[in-house]
Amino acid sequence: MADEERIDSSDISHYDSSGIDERHGVIPGWLVVVYVALAIWMVYYLVQFWTDKG
Amino acid sequence: MSASVTPDRDDLVDRETVLRFLLSAAFWLVFAPTIGVILAIKFNYYDFLGNIDWLTWGRLRPVHVMGVVFGAFSTAIIGLTYYMVPRLCGVRMYKENWSRAILWMWNIGLTVGLVSLPLGHNLGIEAGEFPFWVNVAIEIVLIMIAIQVVMTIVRRQEPRIYVTLWYLTAAYVWTVFNYAFGHFILPYSMPGVNNAAMHGLYIHYVVGLWITPAGLAVIYYFLPLAAKRPLYSHKLSLVGFWSLAFFYPFVGTHHYIYSPIPYWTQTIAIVASMMLIIPVWTVLQNFYGTFVGNWNRFQESYTAKFLIIGALFYLIGCFQGSTEALRAMQRLTHFTDFVIAHSHLTVFGTFILWVTAGMYFVIPRLSGHELYSKTLAQWHYWLTVAGFSLMALVLTLQGLLQGTMLDVGADFVESMVVMKPYWFIRTIAGVTMDVGALLGMWNFYLTVMRGRRIAAPDASSLGGAAEPQWT
Repeated sequence: MADEERIDSSDISHYDSSGIDERHGVIPGWLVVVYVALAIWMVYYLVQFWTDKG
Repeated sequence: MSASVTPDRDDLVDRETVLRFLLSAAFWLVFAPTIGVILAIKFNYYDFLGNIDWLTWGRLRPVHVMGVVFGAFSTAIIGLTYYMVPRLCGVRMYKENWSRAILWMWNIGLTVGLVSLPLGHNLGIEAGEFPFWVNVAIEIVLIMIAIQVVMTIVRRQEPRIYVTLWYLTAAYVWTVFNYAFGHFILPYSMPGVNNAAMHGLYIHYVVGLWITPAGLAVIYYFLPLAAKRPLYSHKLSLVGFWSLAFFYPFVGTHHYIYSPIPYWTQTIAIVASMMLIIPVWTVLQNFYGTFVGNWNRFQESYTAKFLIIGALFYLIGCFQGSTEALRAMQRLTHFTDFVIAHSHLTVFGTFILWVTAGMYFVIPRLSGHELYSKTLAQWHYWLTVAGFSLMALVLTLQGLLQGTMLDVGADFVESMVVMKPYWFIRTIAGVTMDVGALLGMWNFYLTVMRGRRIAAPDASSLGGAAEPQWT
């Protein structure tokens, strides 16, 4: 089955005057992992390098 | 994809103004890179063009930078704004008659500014170099367009506000303030290191709060149309927009790592730079998710071709930019061509190519003419890809090489000598890109002036939005 056919039509918003369709969509799991990893790194880096320890 | 069919709504657009903006953008898209080629030649032959003051490297470099940012990119963005906003709002542009005055004010302002720079009239703020009265004209233009965009959105018929409108509104509103900051405050106040720190913010706001959101507005508009598929995820659009808005304002100080600026502000800039991976990868996931399953559009559409190659350079250029801010990388790459590789990958490789994609979509459609020559378009695309890939690669390599040499204690002049063959390759790459751009822009001009007229698109068959097959 084509990917296009699997899209639930209730998941789509249609913009009439531009003809653009947009899925409400999801945030893929791998991207959530990236967000969390970067947030943890951010806290570590800010604490570790707030001042120059020489 | 939704089966709903809508009438074609190009009737909402002021065709003549959009086309005039895009054709003037086509001129700047050839002019500014050509100055870049002259500068590149001067790296190899320092006395090229002799010792005429206004053709020296120091006078021409700002013409290249200001010409690309405000001439090539921004002129195209304004033209595409006048196309996208009415289409997304379902109403004609607010105060549409302003647009024609803006066209002339903008282009005359740019011309005066870009002629003033080689004559030595320069404010001395990098990327904020036009003389005072040119800046007044450009500031007025930006305010007028910001009002037009916001008021058109306020009066819209479309119930929802599509992501392109968020980015455009943000880009214009942020830039109204940033342009005033960079041109009316920075050059006249804040002496010393404070000025440098604030300049870091200004120049990165030009990139991050103007070029980036305006460019993303373009890709979000043309991506689903070029792919002929729904945008992959509204939720990702939200994450991308707000993470950009949150992190980008702190990025600018990363130009001054290891400087007298307080250490903690440098640390915040480094962290914010790395966190920009979030909006970049989020946008690219949205891009990939939209195109997946319909990659054959790459074969069929020049809009799709330029969007896809621009997305690839976006991934590389932005990852380079984020990691470049880290102290260890900064130590290696600062004052080398690695930085130039990054700026070219993002400004040209990404955003100039994305607005070019938009031009391939809009110009045939609004002129009512078939693209004049597919051969010219093919040459435009492949010369751009070949030339720019080579340039990005060679600049990155020479940056790493020179940085390594300096890091192990090599003499600066010695490192310059080693760079010579790389500069030559970079010049060849630049000429290749420039010839490609010339062919592409000439093709646009011929499309409008001499293109074969096409029958009015059948709205029902196009769904009011699909890219016409002649692009």
